[in-house]
Formats: sequence, structure tokens, C-alpha cells
Amino acid sequence: MHGIFYDHIHDEIVVPVALGGAILTLPGDAAGDAPPKRILQGPRTGIVQPDTLFVDLEHDELIVESGDDAVLVFPRTASGNVAPSRRIGGPNSGVNNIYGLAADSKRDCIIVANRVESGGRQSDDAILVFNRLDNGDPKPRTKISGPHTGIIKIRQVFVDEERGLIFATIKNNFEAYNYADPRPSPWDPDRTGFIGVWSIDDNGDVPPRGVIKGPATGLVWPAGVAINPKNQEVYAIDSVSNALFMFKTPEFFVKLPGSSAAGGR
Amino acid sequence: MRRLIIATAGLMLLSISGRHSGEPTADGTICPVPGSPLSEARLLAIERENGCLDDGAAAPDSWPPGWNTATIAGGDIQPARVVADPYPTLHSVVVDSERNRVFMSDPNRHALWSYDRLAASKGREQIEPLTGVRGPATGMMFIAAITLDRDEQEIYTVDNDIGDRMMVFPYDAAGNVKPKRVLDVPHQAWGLSISPERNELAVSVESSRQIVIYRKGAEGREQPLRTVRGPKTGLGDPHGVFLDGRNNEIIVANHGNQGGRQPAPGDAPARQRGTRVSEPQPIVGGRFDEPSITVYNADAKGDVAPIRRIQGEKTGLNWPMAIDVDRNRNEIAVANNGDSSIRVFRRTDAGDVAPVRVIKGPATRITGPMGVAYDLKNNEIWVANYGDHTALVFSNTASGNVAPKRILRNAPAGSPTVGFGNPGAVAYDSKRDEILVPN
Repeated sequence: MHGIFYDHIHDEIVVPVALGGAILTLPGDAAGDAPPKRILQGPRTGIVQPDTLFVDLEHDELIVESGDDAVLVFPRTASGNVAPSRRIGGPNSGVNNIYGLAADSKRDCIIVANRVESGGRQSDDAILVFNRLDNGDPKPRTKISGPHTGIIKIRQVFVDEERGLIFATIKNNFEAYNYADPRPSPWDPDRTGFIGVWSIDDNGDVPPRGVIKGPATGLVWPAGVAINPKNQEVYAIDSVSNALFMFKTPEFFVKLPGSSAAGGR
Repeated sequence: MRRLIIATAGLMLLSISGRHSGEPTADGTICPVPGSPLSEARLLAIERENGCLDDGAAAPDSWPPGWNTATIAGGDIQPARVVADPYPTLHSVVVDSERNRVFMSDPNRHALWSYDRLAASKGREQIEPLTGVRGPATGMMFIAAITLDRDEQEIYTVDNDIGDRMMVFPYDAAGNVKPKRVLDVPHQAWGLSISPERNELAVSVESSRQIVIYRKGAEGREQPLRTVRGPKTGLGDPHGVFLDGRNNEIIVANHGNQGGRQPAPGDAPARQRGTRVSEPQPIVGGRFDEPSITVYNADAKGDVAPIRRIQGEKTGLNWPMAIDVDRNRNEIAVANNGDSSIRVFRRTDAGDVAPVRVIKGPATRITGPMGVAYDLKNNEIWVANYGDHTALVFSNTASGNVAPKRILRNAPAGSPTVGFGNPGAVAYDSKRDEILVPN
């Protein structure tokens, strides 16, 4: 499983099951072999191999990555083999190989961590922002992408609605093991991954407003991020170190450099 | 899914610390000691600082363009806390009884470890391995199965969700060494089995639900000899595989997961890293089938039905992982991860049948087993506990809630097993003040 969402209002855990083409909703206190409360699965759902998801608690909607280069939106309690309410995908949208999803109900938008690898270290990875009610093949309303962003091999994203910030995990490192090298390595030690923080209103090729990056962080390939505003902490899970890192970052829970309360640069 | 409770005390918190800085080489540089419990970040830092990656290792690159003039909060921050497991996590196990060695794969620290076959912990102490293969040069990432070519004295392992390589090392490999050879394999390969009789190698692949057969010795981007794939096969998230050259069968353990897209039926070469599927396959919708053991003719290829299938409530199969076959007794042993048991079936069983023996219960100390292997010479069965830092040895006829003959610990008794395996997401449960990590 490469995604998870905790729904604090309904005390539920929602996870995608990529290998079973399903979304499971479990009780918040589930442990062991607990059965799911709901299973969303079947050909009508359009769910193929889902890696990530998010629940928009304000609008009571479940947002799912299809595994098929599309964003699918269902009623939060959808169960069984039902069609999505809305779908975003297609060439105009640019949606491709989604590894992270989030929503900002205050700003009425859906955030997509989009990965477009084009060989070597070339990529057009991006944070795409769509209007919440978009359906079909719309263009994103904003796109954070380009060399100044440092976004290479993006993974899970999370939104801090209160401060209008997007937290993104960036692996920053293609797996590139060349056996012919005298000392090959799948990891480039000079290009370890990081947590990047952007304003939700950022657009274009702009540096992040905050980062957790460097040898002291211990991050190699961060793949997941969550925040705990109460304790002013950022949590990052690393898929190479097999480790969970907890960072105390009060600076991320006040106004970040160059940002207004609503973002903008 | 593993629930991690983050509070002030009583946690499975293990700081990653670079306690071993490595041994100086002849030229005075320090390269990582693969046997030490270094974090990957520390391994990389040592590699970079000491030019171990290559002779012309460049200085660390700068941050992305524009970052040096931008005002960016945060930076190179030390974590306040870290949850990780500094010890190897035992995944799969295989025995060479002629040479009295046992080999195990470790996806936590991306390593292979070998031990003396008779090594056993007398008390709470851990056993030092004979050899450890670990480090960036090995190419090992999220590795899964391990198997041996006993004739050539070679160790095989395979990357699962990242890497997409099978790596082969000589028995005596140790340290941060390149594999003897590598083979590109389909994404999400899990199981491995070599048939010396057929001179072939079988690889199971989870998401595309296929068994891929290569010639033994295949390397590089060599194509498989044949592939078993398609809806008739009944393959569902296959894991353990055994290529039985004596009985000319392929035996496969299936979790039962069926993804939402039907992999192309047939024998066409599997998709490899860096390539795309030429035509999207039809969306059929995901489903959860019952776990099963499916059996095919060893020459099967394409979309063929199994010749036998063990499946149903009586089997007790639940997340069947590795399998091994005792061809003297005609039995199949299954590492049944879902209920922490070893289930033994007759090799020729079919349908909804109960196992002939089950090793299960608190006395057995079996906890989340991932690997199982027969030692036919010594009439023993080995179990690799993924949920504990132990490998267990039983008599091959053991049954019920019995204590193991020997326990091999790779960490001091009581060391918690965090269980992270290529984790890809995290969530915060604000109600319980807990952090949730799916594997």
C-alpha cells in the first residue's frame, strides 16, 4: 500500500489496495485481521491499481487515484461496484502516474502529485492544482514544476488548509544502477530526497518556501509526509531507510517566507 | 498495516546511529562495513565522503537552481525522533546442507546474510553471521526471495517493488560488492526457484500475475524462455514458487489479489523497466479471490489452467508466502504469514483439503513467517520469522504447538521488529495521537 488517510471526523482509516484494485475503509481503531467497513471495488469504479487517495471531509468526498492516470471522485461512503461522481484525466489535464493526492476545501481545489519521467534525470514532475468540481479533461488551474522547484520523483502530498501550504515528498533520485560501473549504486548520495513546502497559490517554476533536506535529516528516499500542527511536527517515511522521521519544525506552522496567509508569491 | 503509537514512553523507538564508522582501507579511506547496523543515509554519507562510489566522485552538488538566493525556511534539520529497526529483518531462507550453511534475505537493511547451519542462540544473544552482503554496489533494494544454485555455489535474490533486478552473488561474497551478474526482471518480482534438472529459473511476479521462466544463468536484459500469464491460470498476486524438475511441475502460492486490469494473456515477454505496455489491457475490476496453491506443468506457457489447485476454507491458507517442496516425502510446506503458521500439504493434494500438518502456536515462536525451507539431508525445516528477529528450526515432521529444535537470533531477544518494508505513505491519527504507516 502506498497511500493512507485518517478521517478524524468519522474515525476511519482509508487505504488503497493496489494489487486488488480496491479501496478499503477500516475502523479507526482497527488492528490485526479486522475486516473493512466498506470495500470500493469493481469494473464500474474505474479503479485499476490505486496507489494513493485523500478524503475531502468538508465535502464528504473520497478522492482516489485510479492507477490509470486519472483522478476519481466518489461520495465518501461509496461502497461496492459504483461509478465515480467525477473523473479528471486526459491530455489537457496532464494527469499522469499519480503518486499523491490532497484537497483543500477552503480553496476548493484538488492537488495532484504528478510524475512524468522522460529518461535519465529528465522529468516533468509537478504539483497540479485543479478546481474541486473539475470533471473531464480540464487544464490545471496552477502547476508547480520546473528545475527551480527541485521536484523530481514526487510522492505523497499533504495540505495544511489553515496555512495554505502543500507538503510534498520528493525522492530527487532516480533508481539508476548501471552494472557496468566499477562501483554501481542505485542511490546517488549527492541527490538525496527532501520534504518541500509550497504555498497552495504558488504557480510555475518556483523554489519551495520550506524544506527539510540534507545529510542531518537522514532522508534518502522520502515517500510519505504527514503533519501534526498541534505539536508543530512533520512526519516523513523513507522507503530506502525503512524509517519514520519526526521533525520539530515550528517555522512551518507560522507564516512562511514570502507567503501571505492565503499564499501567493 | 502497522499501527505505530507515538507517545512519550513505551515506544518501539530505535534511533539510527552510525555506531560503526567502518574499517580503513589500504589507502586510508573508510568504506561502509556492511555488517554494521548503519542507516542507508549514513552509508551514503560515508560513500560520498570517502569516494567509495567511484574514483572520481564529485563533490556534493548544490541545491536546485535559485534556492541559494531564495528565502527558504527549514533546511538540514536533525529529526527529533526516529523509528527504525537497526537489525536485519529476516525474509526468506534457504539451506545448503552439504556445506552446512544457511542463507537469508533481509529487506530492511537490503542485505544477504549467511550463518553456520548449526548456529543457535543458547539464550538471549544474537548470532554473528558468517558473511553479510550489503551496500550500494550490491544493487539490492527491497529484496524478497532468496535461492541457491548449489552446483555453482551461487546465491540468488530479487528486488520486489523497487529495483526490478535479480542479483547473483558467489557463496563467499561479503561486504559492499557487485553481484556476479544481474538480470532485469518484471516489476514486483517476489519468488525465485531454480531447477537444476531443467537448468531453468522461475520468477513469480505479483501485480502482473505471472510466472516467468528464464534459463539458469540468464543475465542483463535477456528475455524469458516462456511465461505463464492470463485469466485461466488462476494466478492471483503470486509469491512463493517452486520449479520441480523431478516431477516436471511449477508450484505457486497465491495471495488471491486480482488487480483491476487484466494482464495480457499469453507468452509474450513481460514488460521490463523503462518500457511501456503497448496496448492498455481491459479493465475488469479488482477482486479478492481466496488464497491458493496452484500447480502447472513445468513446460506450461501462456494462459493455461492449473493442473491442480489447493484452495478453500479447510486449507487455512492466509497470505501464503514462500513455499518449499520435500520431494522425498512428497510434501509442500507453506509459510502462512496471515496466521503465523507453517502448513504442510501433500504434493498431489487438490481442492479444499486440510493440511496434513500445521506447526502453529505460542510454543513454536512462529511470528509472521515469510520464508520456509527444507533441509532434506538433516530432516529439518527452517522458518524465517519476519515478525521477529529469529529463524527457527523444526523437525520436518513437526506438528502442532511444538518448540523449535534451534533458534537463531539476529538481534538480542526482545528487540522489537518495526516491520517497515518499502513504506510509501504516512498519516497522523489526531484522535489517538498515533502515526499510521502502511506497508
